[in-house]
Amino acid sequence: MSDSNDSTNIAVQAKDVSVYYGDFRAVKNINLDVARNKITAFIGPSGCGKSTLLRAFNRMNDLIPISRMDGEIVYRGKNLYDADVDPVEVRRRIGMVFQKPNPFPKSIYENIAWGARINGYKGNMDELVEESLRSAAIWDEVKDKLDQSGLSLSGGQQQRLCIARTVAVKPEIILMDEPCSALDPIATLKIEELMRQLQEQYTIIIVTHNMQQAARSSDYTAFLNMDTTDRSGYMVEFSETSAMFTNPQNQQTEEYITGRFG
Amino acid sequence: MENPENLYPVDEELQKFIDYRKRSGTIWRGVFLMSLFVAILVLIVLMLNIINDAFGLVALENEVDPHSLVTGYQENTMVSMPNTFASTNHAALAAVIQQNETGIGFVGHAHYQTNADDLRLIAVDGQFPTAETVADGSYPFARPLYIYTALDTLQSEPAVAGYFRFYLENANNSGGELGYFLADETLMADQINLIDTLAGGPQALDSLGGNLALSGSSSLYPLSRQMLLDFRQAGFGGDISIEQIGSEAGIEAFCRGDIQVLNASRPMTVAEAATCQRNRVNPVEIAVGLDALAIVSHPSLDFLESVSLKEMGQIFAAMNYWDEIDPSYPVEPIVRAVPGEGSGSLELLSGSMFSTIGLENLSGAAYAEIIRENLGRGRGRALERDQRFLAEGFIFDSQTAFNGACASAEPPTGCAQPARDRDNLLDLIEQEIIVPQIQQTWPLYDSIFNRQAIVAEASRKYPDAIVEFKSWLNPDFLVNPQSSEAELAGVRTAIWGTVMVVATTFLFSFPVGVGAAIYLEEYADSTKWYNKIIQTNISNLAGVPSIIYGMLGLTVFVRLLLPLTSGEMFGRVAEGTDPSGRTVISAGLTLGLLILPIIIINAQEALRAVPNSMRRAGMGLGATKWQTTWSHVLPAALPGILTGTILAMSRAVGETAPLIVVGASTVIRTDPTFFSRFTVLPIQIFQWTSRPQPEFQNLAAAAIIVLLLILLTLNASAVILRNRYSTSS
Ligand SMILES: Nc1ncnc2c1ncn2[C@@H]1O[C@H](COP(=O)(O)OP(=O)(O)O)[C@@H](O)[C@H]1O
Ligand SMILES: [Mg+2]
Repeated sequence: MSDSNDSTNIAVQAKDVSVYYGDFRAVKNINLDVARNKITAFIGPSGCGKSTLLRAFNRMNDLIPISRMDGEIVYRGKNLYDADVDPVEVRRRIGMVFQKPNPFPKSIYENIAWGARINGYKGNMDELVEESLRSAAIWDEVKDKLDQSGLSLSGGQQQRLCIARTVAVKPEIILMDEPCSALDPIATLKIEELMRQLQEQYTIIIVTHNMQQAARSSDYTAFLNMDTTDRSGYMVEFSETSAMFTNPQNQQTEEYITGRFG
Repeated sequence: MENPENLYPVDEELQKFIDYRKRSGTIWRGVFLMSLFVAILVLIVLMLNIINDAFGLVALENEVDPHSLVTGYQENTMVSMPNTFASTNHAALAAVIQQNETGIGFVGHAHYQTNADDLRLIAVDGQFPTAETVADGSYPFARPLYIYTALDTLQSEPAVAGYFRFYLENANNSGGELGYFLADETLMADQINLIDTLAGGPQALDSLGGNLALSGSSSLYPLSRQMLLDFRQAGFGGDISIEQIGSEAGIEAFCRGDIQVLNASRPMTVAEAATCQRNRVNPVEIAVGLDALAIVSHPSLDFLESVSLKEMGQIFAAMNYWDEIDPSYPVEPIVRAVPGEGSGSLELLSGSMFSTIGLENLSGAAYAEIIRENLGRGRGRALERDQRFLAEGFIFDSQTAFNGACASAEPPTGCAQPARDRDNLLDLIEQEIIVPQIQQTWPLYDSIFNRQAIVAEASRKYPDAIVEFKSWLNPDFLVNPQSSEAELAGVRTAIWGTVMVVATTFLFSFPVGVGAAIYLEEYADSTKWYNKIIQTNISNLAGVPSIIYGMLGLTVFVRLLLPLTSGEMFGRVAEGTDPSGRTVISAGLTLGLLILPIIIINAQEALRAVPNSMRRAGMGLGATKWQTTWSHVLPAALPGILTGTILAMSRAVGETAPLIVVGASTVIRTDPTFFSRFTVLPIQIFQWTSRPQPEFQNLAAAAIIVLLLILLTLNASAVILRNRYSTSS
């Protein structure tokens, strides 16, 4: 992948992206520029294809045998779906945090170190573990029990561990699929705070159900909805978050964010 | 439409309905409990059956009585001690004692009586030989005396019949004076009747033709001689003669037909009687009185009043000076006079004097001596070449012959090994000389509840046998190789066979099976038709009868891959022998094929149970598929994979049919190697159960227990491994 960038402010671009599961088109014709070092939120009703679209950004859909994609995801001037692009490298640069916290059934330390190790990290591992856990705002809670299993943590802690794990391999973009849906409000706040800190170094795309969360913690918002005719998702509106929540351009958007939807 | 609430039962009806559901639940629970109970019951019955056969009483008959080995050895020691005079002639013994101030020894009581003035009688454990102590057995050295003749002689030579009758009528008169102890009057009368029946009624003594020649025991010499003299006195006109050559030599000569009338201080053994019969000498045995051996010393040896059996052992078979027995005794050499080898007296002596010494109490040197005395030369030499008996010198071999053998192209194993130790020698004596033979076995249940009846039955059927409790499952059984002698047979080679075959099976089927499962679960696109076919095939293979795998193994491993499985490729086939593919490797690979589908299916199941979130987590970090599988998926699936594998291994351990086809041998006496012929436990069990001798059924039961224990160990290790892996994560 070339290092040259057409627009320094754009981290990654979706160009006319459609994703199919077998014959079913889950999302269609998405065009989207994701701004560098900003938080972009995807909102929309359940099943409209937010996760599907998010996965398209780091080729995670490749793991689903029946899925197929049209269009381009352009990153550093290169379509990620070109034949010569290695999905492993894509995921290395564009990390992912999942809806359900999924730490490895290994020690907290190992949870962080494993990703670094397999990616050939040459620095001081202890330092990296500490730095990653600090940047995920969980260091103080786990520093005395690094050898305990990652599964012994609470749900919110597990999710922050997963974020720390992702941060440790130093990606450029972090994809988060409803990272707070399994968490209580306090843990949710902590993660939101964390996202604000991470934003300085990373570009973040987050899928959320939670209007307040999107309003509070994102810079840009994309509203996706399901086409009633073919049940596939399409992008209704994409703009700065403040604009969308104060002055939605589209009728559906307004209904959705004010809770009058469906 | 009705009010929806009314569509459901309420109140009493509801209660009834709930009760009904509970009842049917209870019934089902009962049914399940019953099936569990039946299963456990079957298991218990099975186990009891096996245990019933694996333990129990046996009637053991030794080819050679171990105690006779001890006494034989002790007799040898006794007669070869320094300052010891041994003779079958009691008069000579008495003379030696009379002439030596520190002399001590044994003479027949009759001989003591004749020399009472010059000899000092010593008590044994406080008992002197008297009519009472001899009769009630409290004096140990007493035994009945016999005269023998052949039935033909008795019937054809009136002199012999006349002499026997005269003997029986008069022995009790003269015997007492001579120092003998009187025989039972009614026994004597019965025996006179016996002579009358065999040889016809009494005849006048002066009309009896022919001569009388006696030979044999020295103990009986005085009495028989007196009887001869009295017989002549009473009118017998023929020549008379009497010799003393000892009982054993006497019996031997008698059975050859060389002795007309035999004096014996012990009854003929069964073996000796058999020899007689073979030579067409039909012995007629007549008991004529009781004799006691007196222990006597020179009159000046007045510090000895009474000796115990143990002290006698020291005096006659261990020490050389009197003060070694007791420091208060003089520092003088012990001069001994003992009955000579082959005499009934020596046997009587050693029998009681060493009765407390068991074979296991003897030293290694004693064992070597026993082996020298009792083992045949050829066999002894072969065993000595296997491993030497003595650290220095040889028993059967010679140094030059041994050196020669060691310098040859194929030196015997004994060249490189140290000499046998004491335990080894003892084992050897047991296996080569004593050779215990099991005559009959009884199951555990009978052994416990019908013990009396069994002992009675055994003493009737096998008078020489000892009845003892035997655990067929014992350490020897585990370490002995296979043997056609039930008493010596063990399962070592079968256990080794099983272990090595199963190790081969594991080494082959675990990596291949798990690898296949990983491919099918993690990599293969299960929607593709060829992968579907593979999957279906594997599932079907798991159901193929095992004998078919045996045939496959025979064709592929035994025949096609012969150079590999026989070890020919690795130079493991001895020159001059034909390579054979019926080896541990072939068996292991065959069983490996057999359990491969089971391992694959189990491993797939375990991999499938690993949540996808684990895979996504790895991939999301930029890990490759293999890294994710190796680091996360496989460890998470490992407990399940191991459980499945070990269950499959258990199946392999118990498999018989395919191995028979592949060509397991039934009798393997040497530990197998990967390229050798083999046997395994199930084959061994199968072979033993199909033998007609009942003791092999016992062996089979013991082997089944061993097999079950191995399976149990395997399963326990599965549980332990699984727990270890699931807690560490
Ligand atoms: N692995 C899959 N296989 C088949 N269809 C899928 C798969 N994942 C999602 N879909 C379908 O794609 C559509 C969009 O799903 P998703 O992206 O999960 O929506 P959202 O995240 O917005 O709730 C849904 O109709 C869903 O059923
Ligand atoms: Mg979703």
